[in-house]
Amino acid sequence: MFDSGLVIAIFGATLCALLGGCGSALGVMYAGKAAAGVVSEKPDLFGKMLVLQALPGTQGIYGFLIAILVMVNTGLLGDPVELTVAQGWSYFFATLPMAIVGLISGIAQGKTAAAAIHMTGKQPDASGKGITMTALVETYAILALLTSILLIFSL
Amino acid sequence: MIAPMKKVSIVCMREDREKVLKALQHSALMMIEVSDTGVMGDDRESGEHQRRVEQLLRELNKYKEKKGLFAQPTEVNESSFDTLSDDTISLCNSIENLIKKRDELVSEEASLQSITDTLRDWAELKALAQDLKQTESTDVMTVRLPVAKYPLLEERIADLDASFEKVSVNEKTVQLLIVCMKEACHSLRALLSECEAEEIKLPIVSGKIADKLSETNKRLLEVSDEKNAINEQLEASAKSSTADVETLFEQYRASADRAEVRLSETVETVFIEGWVRADCMDKLKSTIEEATPIFDVESRDPKEDEEVPTSLQNSKLVSQFEGITEMFNPPKYNDYDPNAVMAPWYWIIFGMMMGDAGYGLMMAVLIFLGKKLMKPRGGTAKLMNVLLYSSVTTIFFGILFGSYFGEELFPPLIGFTSMSDPIKMLILTLVVGVLHIFTGMITKIVLNVRSGNVLDAIFDQVSWMMIIAGLGMIFIPPLSKVGPIIAIIGALIVLFTAGRAKKGIVGKITGGLGGLYNITSYLSDILSYSRILALGLATGVVGYVMNMLAGMVQNGVIGFILSLLIYIVGHVFNLVLGLLSAYVHSCRLQYIEFYGKFYEGGGTVFKPFGIRTNYINIKKD
Repeated sequence: MFDSGLVIAIFGATLCALLGGCGSALGVMYAGKAAAGVVSEKPDLFGKMLVLQALPGTQGIYGFLIAILVMVNTGLLGDPVELTVAQGWSYFFATLPMAIVGLISGIAQGKTAAAAIHMTGKQPDASGKGITMTALVETYAILALLTSILLIFSL
Repeated sequence: MIAPMKKVSIVCMREDREKVLKALQHSALMMIEVSDTGVMGDDRESGEHQRRVEQLLRELNKYKEKKGLFAQPTEVNESSFDTLSDDTISLCNSIENLIKKRDELVSEEASLQSITDTLRDWAELKALAQDLKQTESTDVMTVRLPVAKYPLLEERIADLDASFEKVSVNEKTVQLLIVCMKEACHSLRALLSECEAEEIKLPIVSGKIADKLSETNKRLLEVSDEKNAINEQLEASAKSSTADVETLFEQYRASADRAEVRLSETVETVFIEGWVRADCMDKLKSTIEEATPIFDVESRDPKEDEEVPTSLQNSKLVSQFEGITEMFNPPKYNDYDPNAVMAPWYWIIFGMMMGDAGYGLMMAVLIFLGKKLMKPRGGTAKLMNVLLYSSVTTIFFGILFGSYFGEELFPPLIGFTSMSDPIKMLILTLVVGVLHIFTGMITKIVLNVRSGNVLDAIFDQVSWMMIIAGLGMIFIPPLSKVGPIIAIIGALIVLFTAGRAKKGIVGKITGGLGGLYNITSYLSDILSYSRILALGLATGVVGYVMNMLAGMVQNGVIGFILSLLIYIVGHVFNLVLGLLSAYVHSCRLQYIEFYGKFYEGGGTVFKPFGIRTNYINIKKD
């Protein structure tokens, strides 16, 4: 199976969409659980909670984005290009930063978002600070996204 | 900029307390400093009324339809705000009575229901309730036991001095009437507990049980009818008069707020102390003059060690961005208001992050419509304005980067797109980052020079700007010779001055070396701006995917409709996500990378004593 470059590239693309999506799903779940608790007592805060809950959702989109870029670059959406095994592995490794960092940072950001949600529940005015704290975690997902993008474009 | 403040003390007669406070509340000019040892107003009732009406509103809310997204708060004229409407008060009383009646009916219904639940199984009992009494030698009891245990009871009860009658049977339980001799009572109870039987106390003292049951059922129907009628009435009043009740609530709350202000007083006078914006002093005096002829107002400038609330005074454009700083940390009174330097950068960076002319246009249209329909107030209005302004930069950078709904409809004006040459785009975003950071550092230089610390400005800011600029010049061919020299001079300044506050030679050397180590923090600050590229790409690629998906299904009429649907849903989804990311990350770049260079904050916001409004909108006359 691993003697086809294309299969290896697809493996990378899948992994990226898969792990990024899992990370975001878990992250949004952690945040959502906390938000549901706060909203049950303070329904007015729903808007602020929604913003905080949505923050860990970006890793899934970044993972999806890299998967699409691999598909576009390898012509999977039109006529597939013949890839050597080495090229296939190059694509695979290029997707790794986003795949792994997407999974872990999604979960980490979800936990931070949950904490920020608890804080906002107690002090609604502090939601801006909570958003900033949560966004700090995302920096590393963005750096991973950039690494993967730049690698794929350079292939 | 930060508006200059005055500390104001007003002395007025005790009997004018209410009038003066009312004038202050309506004008919303003064932030009153309450005195812990002060005395509250005489009006104790308003607070109680406020709580009562609040409770009433909560009840009415259960009956009211949900307010639409575009619902507007009730408008109340300022002059009529202080007059309570007698109609509304009597309406509140009648609604309260209805609610009380409803609650009584609900509890009656529950108790009737429990009676019918118990009696249902005993309807076939022929004896009259008053006859089911113990006599001198016998005991009577009504019991219920599980069907499975009935054979056991039937078999064993024959040995006892007791007789029983099966009153009714259902799927789960058997109901029995048992009469036994008093002597056998003890062993009967033991048998009953073995059979898991439960003694039932019939909730009736006289008459036939069947009669009582039908009577209760009849009453139950009546109660439920009455309850429905009341619910309908409540629904009708919720629909027609919630707005009036809300207004009444705000009126009571305003009076309660006045009563709750603790003021120092003497036998004849009260003393109101607080902060007023210096440019509002004349207005304050004329406001009090209108309320009472006998008063004295004194004002002075704030003292050094006093904590003065901050009121910002910016142009209309800049003031829309104030909320962003306030969310981070409002400036201190003696601080520098960073909004004027932050606003243009927020505007530019937001636009770069969205970076799509199509989405910019969508933002402009949707937010404009939203503003017209929802007529937001306060913070929401400011946020919408920020987004509306940013749609301009979004369109601008979209044209510059050649991105229209994720497609390259027209060639990019800068000659490359983030897809065709991401490295060039990365460099562009980092250059923007350096300019942003330099703006922060120049601001700090200006602040340092203003406060006389010229050397600090050279040692801490100019030196680093030389290092960063010098290192950057290395990559520009004509300047590549000069660059390193500038960078080295900057580094030497840092090396020799970063430890200047430390004592001893060793301290100064380690301080200098430690200062140079700061290069890592500058580096990570600048690299942080690569998110502009990443977010721009994310918006672009997701938009591109939506177009591709829509293109795939575009066959025939159904395909065409389906593709339209994908275009609309997909692009709206992408726009919302893009807006959220751009908003959050533009904020972050201001807070951490930009404010980190010159701004601290930590002030308190000037919140004048005024009429709090949640439900209504007060119109000035």
